[in-house]
Amino acid sequence: MSVAAAHMIALEHVTKQFAGKRRVTALDDVSVAIPRGEMVAIIGPSGSGKSTLLNLVGGLDRPTAGSVRVDGEALAGLTDDNLTRVRRDKIGFIFQFFNLLPTLTSLENVGLPLHLRGWPRKRVEERARELLTLVQLEARMDHLPDELSGGERQRVAIARALSVYPPILLADEPTGNLDTRTGQEILALVRDLHSRLKSTVVIVTHDMSVAGSCERTIALRDGRIVDDVRRAAPNPTRGEHVALQAD
Amino acid sequence: MSLFRLISWPYFRRHVLRTLLTTAGIVLGVAVFVGMHAANQSVLFAFSRTVDRIAGKTELQVTAAETGFPEEVLDKVQTAGSVRVAVPVIEAVVDTNLKGQGSLLVLGIDMTGDRSLRDYDLESGDDAVVDDPLVFLAQPDSIIVSNEFAGRNRLSVGQRLTLGTVEGEKPFTIRGVMKASGLTSAFGGNLAIMDVYAAQKMFGRGRSFDRIDLAVKPGRSIGEAQRELTALVGPGFQIDPPSGRGQQFEAMLTAYSMGVNISSAFALFIGMFIIYNSFSIAVIQRRSEIGILRALGATRRQIRWLFLGESAVTGLIGSIGGVAFGVLIAHAIAASIGTLIADVYGVAQRTDEIARTPGLLAIAVAIGVTTSMVAAAIPAMNAARVDPVQALQKGKYQVLSAGESRLRAILALVLGLVSVVCLTTAGSRPVFYVGYFLAIVVALLLSPLLALTLARALRPMLKWVRPVEGALAADSLIQSPRRTSASVAALMLSLALVVAFAGMARASYDSIIDWMNATLNPDLFVLPSPNIVVRTIRFPPAMAGQLAAIPGIRRVQMVRDARVVFRRTPVMVVAVEMKSVAETVTRMPVEGDPDEMYRRAAAAEGLIVSDNLAELQHLRVGDTLEVPAPNGVLRLPLVGIVVDYSDQQGTILMDRSLFVRYWNDDTVNIFRVYVTPGAHVSDVRQRILETFAGQRQVFVLTNGELKAYILKITDQWFGLTSVQIAVAVLVAILGIVNTLTVSITDRRRELGVLQAVGGLHAQIRRTIWIEALSIGVLGLALGYALGAVNLYYILQIVHHDIAGLRLDYEFPVATVVALIPAILGAAFVAAIWPAESAVRGSLVEALEYE
Repeated sequence: MSVAAAHMIALEHVTKQFAGKRRVTALDDVSVAIPRGEMVAIIGPSGSGKSTLLNLVGGLDRPTAGSVRVDGEALAGLTDDNLTRVRRDKIGFIFQFFNLLPTLTSLENVGLPLHLRGWPRKRVEERARELLTLVQLEARMDHLPDELSGGERQRVAIARALSVYPPILLADEPTGNLDTRTGQEILALVRDLHSRLKSTVVIVTHDMSVAGSCERTIALRDGRIVDDVRRAAPNPTRGEHVALQAD
Repeated sequence: MSLFRLISWPYFRRHVLRTLLTTAGIVLGVAVFVGMHAANQSVLFAFSRTVDRIAGKTELQVTAAETGFPEEVLDKVQTAGSVRVAVPVIEAVVDTNLKGQGSLLVLGIDMTGDRSLRDYDLESGDDAVVDDPLVFLAQPDSIIVSNEFAGRNRLSVGQRLTLGTVEGEKPFTIRGVMKASGLTSAFGGNLAIMDVYAAQKMFGRGRSFDRIDLAVKPGRSIGEAQRELTALVGPGFQIDPPSGRGQQFEAMLTAYSMGVNISSAFALFIGMFIIYNSFSIAVIQRRSEIGILRALGATRRQIRWLFLGESAVTGLIGSIGGVAFGVLIAHAIAASIGTLIADVYGVAQRTDEIARTPGLLAIAVAIGVTTSMVAAAIPAMNAARVDPVQALQKGKYQVLSAGESRLRAILALVLGLVSVVCLTTAGSRPVFYVGYFLAIVVALLLSPLLALTLARALRPMLKWVRPVEGALAADSLIQSPRRTSASVAALMLSLALVVAFAGMARASYDSIIDWMNATLNPDLFVLPSPNIVVRTIRFPPAMAGQLAAIPGIRRVQMVRDARVVFRRTPVMVVAVEMKSVAETVTRMPVEGDPDEMYRRAAAAEGLIVSDNLAELQHLRVGDTLEVPAPNGVLRLPLVGIVVDYSDQQGTILMDRSLFVRYWNDDTVNIFRVYVTPGAHVSDVRQRILETFAGQRQVFVLTNGELKAYILKITDQWFGLTSVQIAVAVLVAILGIVNTLTVSITDRRRELGVLQAVGGLHAQIRRTIWIEALSIGVLGLALGYALGAVNLYYILQIVHHDIAGLRLDYEFPVATVVALIPAILGAAFVAAIWPAESAVRGSLVEALEYE
């Protein structure tokens, strides 16, 4: 098994360019490996390529060159549907603008990925209730997103991201659209879930306090990694999330 | 203009597909309008052109509708002081048996005087043929053909041409080929000339002429001649310029033309909804852009005109495309109308050119542009009302506000009440039509509310079937009633039209079948032509005796039907041996006592009319009818009103003796033959054919064949409306595609999220398909509801204003059931492309989409 395959996320010489009137290089020959169970912050100024990196890891986009591996599986050769299956089974997304479906209740939003996997209704509901309780929203289960505060919406989004207990949690500016106090609560929740579920967490952020709370910080500038700092030893309990992982 | 260049043009370029779909709505609406009207005009023009070209220098024509008149009338006309020259004419459309050539118009003329009205210059053949009438008279098998016909069929002087006559197929010798002229191009060039007296014999005219063509003496006016001739020949004749025949032809097609107009109007109306839908959506999507423009100083007027300008441009481009497409489809429609007219009205003509009258094309473009601008007027007003501050904020602007819903409901209730009042108290037709219009307006006002309610009702079921895809599809409809309702409304209108036409067709069918079963009960029908409505070839009455003598025949009834002019309208006279018919046919009158009706009619003391004629001409039993005939005005009381489908304009049934006396015509169109009990119909039919073989052209139809023939014609009649309906549904489907493409744009982020959290392509596609099918379901539900109302109104219009037919209300259940899979299938097809576009494209961009 290669070094890359041993990591939960591995990027090797990844380049991403956007075609247009002028070709823009968002990521330029980036290589990085993230072990299982690590909580990583990716920081950098606007346009540095951090969101692009997250999108490539999440299989939302494909690199122009280089390879991306998730849990040992190379994403390059996968069809759109197989890429979706990787996302569905292994990755949970938390977005800055929550991206909840406005017409669905909290319970329905959280159950959405499970329905898409074809779970039986009863089991979907049980899991969704369990997760909403986990993010302390048991009183808001039948509320529509419009009826929730920003922090509550992000909690629903986090519960949805965790619905299949994915080994990887990708968060794009999860506190960017929240006030400071709510942002801190959400961050604490993510950290708590990380420690309880042992997921690999990648957070893209501008916020240095968010970055400071992560074990590792990778800094990007002009599409290149300019700094990669570990504040604590990588989580040694990798693999424990398997026990919680959905079938 | 600069706003249009800076704002509208980039929007069009960014939304090419939607712009194309919007334009396609107008293209189709205008194309149907142009196609139907151009074809209709072409058929009328072709008829009039043939009349004009045959007329030559004729200034007036004397006719007795299509019944013909005795030769003596010519002598009277020739004595008139204002007449310079008067010549007899016989016209017959005959079968040539030449492959792909169709019919040939044979003009029977009298060479002696006819050359002063028409030119017969020959390009080949002996000029003596036309110079010396005796040559023609001496050789009754002589025929002159047009150079076009000769050229197409490689015919030359001396060759033989076989034509269908009353005496069977007869060979004629081509004595001359006419030089190309106006005359030779009549009837698409399929023209032949023969001697009038030979034509009388060949086409069973006896000693009658079909028409007299005449020129007025120099110094005398046409009006003067008309008055003199009317006094001379009596009211049973029509004395009109040649163009009058075109008008009569047009009058005969009234019901057909009305159908064309209604269908065209509906197609345009539905196209209008597509425009309305597109512009409503454009206003919603461009709210922030409008807000910025308003913030930068654009006035409400400028914003309003920006959208109206866009709609005018779209309408203009769509109209031009529609005109081009309409002219293309007009060829096919004209051919279809031509066949229909030949089969239904028995008037054969050839349509070789499609009328592209600048007037029609200009009207079509004007209608297209106006329709487009009218449809965009409300969205344009909404755009002008946009508040710059609110426009820059996100909000639920596609949702119907409670206030608006209430306003719509109240308005619908008020207009609905007015509509019902108009219907129940309608003393006048305009009031009835106002009520009809209001009923449609009510349906349109309520359609967003009803669509919303139905979508809410559908949601649990859709969610149960597909928890994610079903719920999201229903939510998409619930969240954006504005986006959905115009498509649903377009589909609703289309289906309302379909239901009405199908219901009318069903009721007509059932009524026609009842009529056929009641009246067409002979075992066999003997005809001179395979086409039952062709009346230019007829039998002599002596044939009745010959038929009666054939073993196995119990009873023979003679029928003479002919179109006459009654109260300036062409109607059908059906002359039968009323006493014999009363013994074989039992039909209950709509008005009048059945025994008394038959007794008086058989005694030639009264007339019977069809219920449609009674309705159109406001006739009641007891009224005295005046029917002008060549031998004077037939004045008799109306003794009964019956259901009869012999003619769309109405039928007058009379005893045969009256027709013979007043029209001086004892010829027969059809023999009704009853077979002796125990005899085999097929054997008797064979005996009839054998009896007349070599003597006379005879076609024998069994009872089943005749009924099948009539139903085939009925099918043809409704077949054309089916084409119009298909176009209307197609326009509605375009609306669904339009709505879905917009829905996908609006839901780009939502669909992106769905994919990001694990939605496979198949699941995304299913969401779009379910949404399309749901629109189909909503359209079907509302369309059928409105259709049920529309059918009632259409039957009323048919009864009172078009054909006078009293048809029973019968909801077309079979059609309605058959349409469910058709519409849902069409909705699914409409969703294929939008669904594909939903799964393509960048997921990252979709997630960032605002």
